[in-house]
Amino acid sequence: MRKVFDTGNAAITEAAILAGLNFYSGYPITPATEIAENMSRRLPMAGGYYLQAEDETAAFHMAVGAAMGGMRAMTSTSGPGYVLYADPYGWAIGSEIPVVILNAQRVGPVSGITGAPGQGEFYLSRYPTHGGNFETIVLAPEGVRDAFELTIEAFRLAERFRTPVTVLADQLVTDGWEAFEVPEDAFELERLGLPLPKRKAHQGPDFYPRSDGIDIPPVVLGRGTGGACSDWTPTEEGYDTEEIEAQMKHSYRLIYKIRNNRQLIDRSVLTRMEDDPPVVLVSYGSPSRVVRKAVKEGRAKGLRVGAISLKSLWPFQDALFKKDKIHLVVELNHDGQLVREVQRASGGRVHFLGRCGELPTVSELLEIARSLFGGGRPRPIKNVREAW
Amino acid sequence: MNSFRREILISGFGGQGVVLAGRSLGLAAVHGGLEATMLISHGTETRGGYVRSQLVISDGEIDSPVVERADVFLALSQAAYERFRGMALNGLTLYDSDLVEPTEGLTHQLALPARRIAIESLGTEQAANMVALGHIAKLLDFLPFDCLRQAVTELSKRGREVNLAALELGRSLELE
Repeated sequence: MRKVFDTGNAAITEAAILAGLNFYSGYPITPATEIAENMSRRLPMAGGYYLQAEDETAAFHMAVGAAMGGMRAMTSTSGPGYVLYADPYGWAIGSEIPVVILNAQRVGPVSGITGAPGQGEFYLSRYPTHGGNFETIVLAPEGVRDAFELTIEAFRLAERFRTPVTVLADQLVTDGWEAFEVPEDAFELERLGLPLPKRKAHQGPDFYPRSDGIDIPPVVLGRGTGGACSDWTPTEEGYDTEEIEAQMKHSYRLIYKIRNNRQLIDRSVLTRMEDDPPVVLVSYGSPSRVVRKAVKEGRAKGLRVGAISLKSLWPFQDALFKKDKIHLVVELNHDGQLVREVQRASGGRVHFLGRCGELPTVSELLEIARSLFGGGRPRPIKNVREAW
Repeated sequence: MNSFRREILISGFGGQGVVLAGRSLGLAAVHGGLEATMLISHGTETRGGYVRSQLVISDGEIDSPVVERADVFLALSQAAYERFRGMALNGLTLYDSDLVEPTEGLTHQLALPARRIAIESLGTEQAANMVALGHIAKLLDFLPFDCLRQAVTELSKRGREVNLAALELGRSLELE
């Protein structure tokens, strides 16, 4: 392995190319611009196509189109572009087209501060389009190494589940630098499960089976199979229909192919949970790094704390959260998003530490964690409050 | 297990080479067989605006990449000095004496005339970051200077010779 010191954006680019990416379309936006920039240089060298679109909506449409043509496709953006993905996102979900999306979250709303991290699209990544009747797959890297690994994983899951997969990063992950290893030879690639199998084309006629089954190749247009991949509800053969019964069957498939296989998607990491600690810190993305350091330092000081770091957000892994625990959810927003989901899943006592635009500190986390022992309410510390 | 963890904070304006300095240190650490992380905060502008680089170097896996108690803080603007000085109270603050008016009476801080040296000895203000970096490397005893030289050589698209000369100038500097 070759050890390099580079950004998350560089790691994502290289990982996607190693995964066999051959089509990228995007529109530049901080803090994901470097992905587009790197792709424009690297992808043609690797035999793929790079397209700069006129805007994000077009960019994602192009990626979906390329994926329907049998290519391994990707796009990347930040929050202001992610909202513009809504239309093609729904199309890709409905027609079951594998495509990878990277969102480098920055603090908002709207343009906010381009060079500061945020975690405002937790729920948006669950509901990235209209119409309901679907489940999404979302992965969340904590740093550059994760960004590398989870980008590859996103392609794998997108193809196994025939659905768009969002890698929900944040500015500290994409703009952040870290030492990481890049495979150099066939043996090292194989250890990472690379190269991914070639994309297969479904010959039909049962493009949309009445089941929650995965590992079924998607429709590839231009093969004379009849699958339409339009934005209408499909029959099993892939023709447009307005039959409610077909809609119900299709909805069932879109929801339960993911929910019923959620164990294949779970990438959560548990830290110091082996002795069932009463206080558990919960986070995803770059805050997890600080949380893990706080848990280790807390343990060294005799505090029985543990951490659940989520590297997959959706489908939500409800079973991780127990009612008898005190959860402290740490997020890069002040409104509290992940905290709501933890409260729903655990049904127990949940507290919230939200930071806006920058990470919390280890000492801050330890002070709050300490105050949660003994069942008391946390001492009033700025930005910490009971969940709803 | 980590036997050491060092936190380095560099901050100034866009265009001063804050990121390149941090990147050089991080790559030097990797060349030296160490782990490194760097977080960048910046405004949208390419020139001007603020830039902050937080570096962590360790001989083991790095959990938090956040600098909370800087071992070394390099201030390249007055705003940076005032904003982050408090994070390096137990470490060492180096400030560019052309750009920063320091708070009187504080300990653990040294004037580093990087900009002045770069202009007078190398004829370019742009090498100031490398002068400062050369001096920082001298303070980080775990980082072989050759590794830094190698990193700067690899990362300098232009002005390689000037940058390497600037590193040496910074390294040979005796501050009091």
